[in-house]
Amino acid sequence: MRLVQTELKLVMREPVVLTFVFAFPVITVLVLGNVFDADDTAFEGVVPAQWYVAAYIGVVIAAIGLIMLPVHIAGYRHQGVTRRFRVSLFPHWALPLAHVIIGMVVAVLGIAVLLIAGGVAYGLPAIEDVPTTIAGLLLGTLAIISVGVALGSALPNARSAQGLGLMLFLPFFLLSGGGPPPEAMGDGMQTISNWIPLTHVIRAVQEPWLDIGDPGNHFVVVIGILVAATAAWLWLAFRTES
Amino acid sequence: MSEGEIFGILGSNGAGKTTTVECLQGLRSSDAGLLRVLGRPPGDGALRQLVGSQLQDAALPERIRVKEALDLFAGPNAVDRSELMEAWGLSNHRKKAFGDLSGGLRQRLFIALALLNRPEVVFFDEITQGLDPVARREVWDVIREVQHQGATVVLVTHFMEEAQVLCDRLVVFDQGSIVAAGTPDQIIDAHGDRSVIDFTPTGQTAASFDSCRGVRSIEVHDGRMVIEGSAQMVAYVCCALVADGTSPT
Repeated sequence: MRLVQTELKLVMREPVVLTFVFAFPVITVLVLGNVFDADDTAFEGVVPAQWYVAAYIGVVIAAIGLIMLPVHIAGYRHQGVTRRFRVSLFPHWALPLAHVIIGMVVAVLGIAVLLIAGGVAYGLPAIEDVPTTIAGLLLGTLAIISVGVALGSALPNARSAQGLGLMLFLPFFLLSGGGPPPEAMGDGMQTISNWIPLTHVIRAVQEPWLDIGDPGNHFVVVIGILVAATAAWLWLAFRTES
Repeated sequence: MSEGEIFGILGSNGAGKTTTVECLQGLRSSDAGLLRVLGRPPGDGALRQLVGSQLQDAALPERIRVKEALDLFAGPNAVDRSELMEAWGLSNHRKKAFGDLSGGLRQRLFIALALLNRPEVVFFDEITQGLDPVARREVWDVIREVQHQGATVVLVTHFMEEAQVLCDRLVVFDQGSIVAAGTPDQIIDAHGDRSVIDFTPTGQTAASFDSCRGVRSIEVHDGRMVIEGSAQMVAYVCCALVADGTSPT
């Protein structure tokens, strides 16, 4: 708990967190919400602004999982902070687990800020299936955050993490729901979108929330990502240099 | 290594000192051989309570403050943090971020962290690197104090002077192998620079210099005496000659 508290304080002192997790999704969703007419048919029968508010929950999660955590954790490894922890009283899994927990906490805060801003600007749609929406949100957040912890544990330094993180974040964000809606995409783009993990995270939240589809397949993909990413960061946490 | 001693690991850069210590700390796996620290394999969870480490290539998060770092790494047996900060001159910097500390203060914080949980064994890896001569001597006093408090100290250094002043015993590494082991004096005598004094004795015999420190051999040829030994032998033999009324040339 002490480790989580300290790490949370340290992460919140990073300017990149404030920019990418709190400011970027809110500003973008407020702009996009005003771009489309309320009766635009490309949004599966949902008001575009509300469709985007639900989708941008995924963008908050991606900002944490693809940029904030990898940069933070890879920076720790490069600077020698991880080595310092490895000779401390904390077990090897404690630091990555703390990063998963703070990722979840920051996600809750970031999503709350997004929902407040989106709600004030456009009004929030009613959640059609509350338990499934919450399950999708929890599993999806955990999956992308675990990907972030695994990436940060594998990459050599903060600069490479930032480079790879941005390279993944931009197409993820544009093609998984943060950019054009699926119906406005060509077949090729839709195929690529279906291969992006974040698409399934966003759909696992959006579909039960707005009642626009059956999220079963998306849950399967999200759980697969979660298991693979968790196994990866656990393995990386216990590896020893030879 | 014996309990309660200061054990030195000496060698030039790249000799394998830090790699060896990292194997002992469980940070690396060894290629061969059997390692035990306090009877346990390196990396054993219980060892973390008993071992304190100051690592050569370690850091703390840039934005963590001194007091936060000590609180974070403190275990159930930790010493009083305020006293520790006072002892290490960190009290006035308790709210400073690690990234804002000078090199000397960072080193002090690392030492404080190494001693935080009352360890039985303390690893100091190049602990005086980057310190000025005054600060270096202060650190030497601290290492002696750590030993007096009952801990075993493993000191990694590439300064012979440091090893000579502090260590009870030491090993010398070269290219990953131990090339010498013993007390500092034994190693200096056996492997130090070879010095030779060649002079015409004025009544002295070989027995006159037998007891001089650092002497390895004494030979007398054609009325001249040749004494061979370590660098410090020169000083002792010259003192003996001067005391005997001879001015060596």
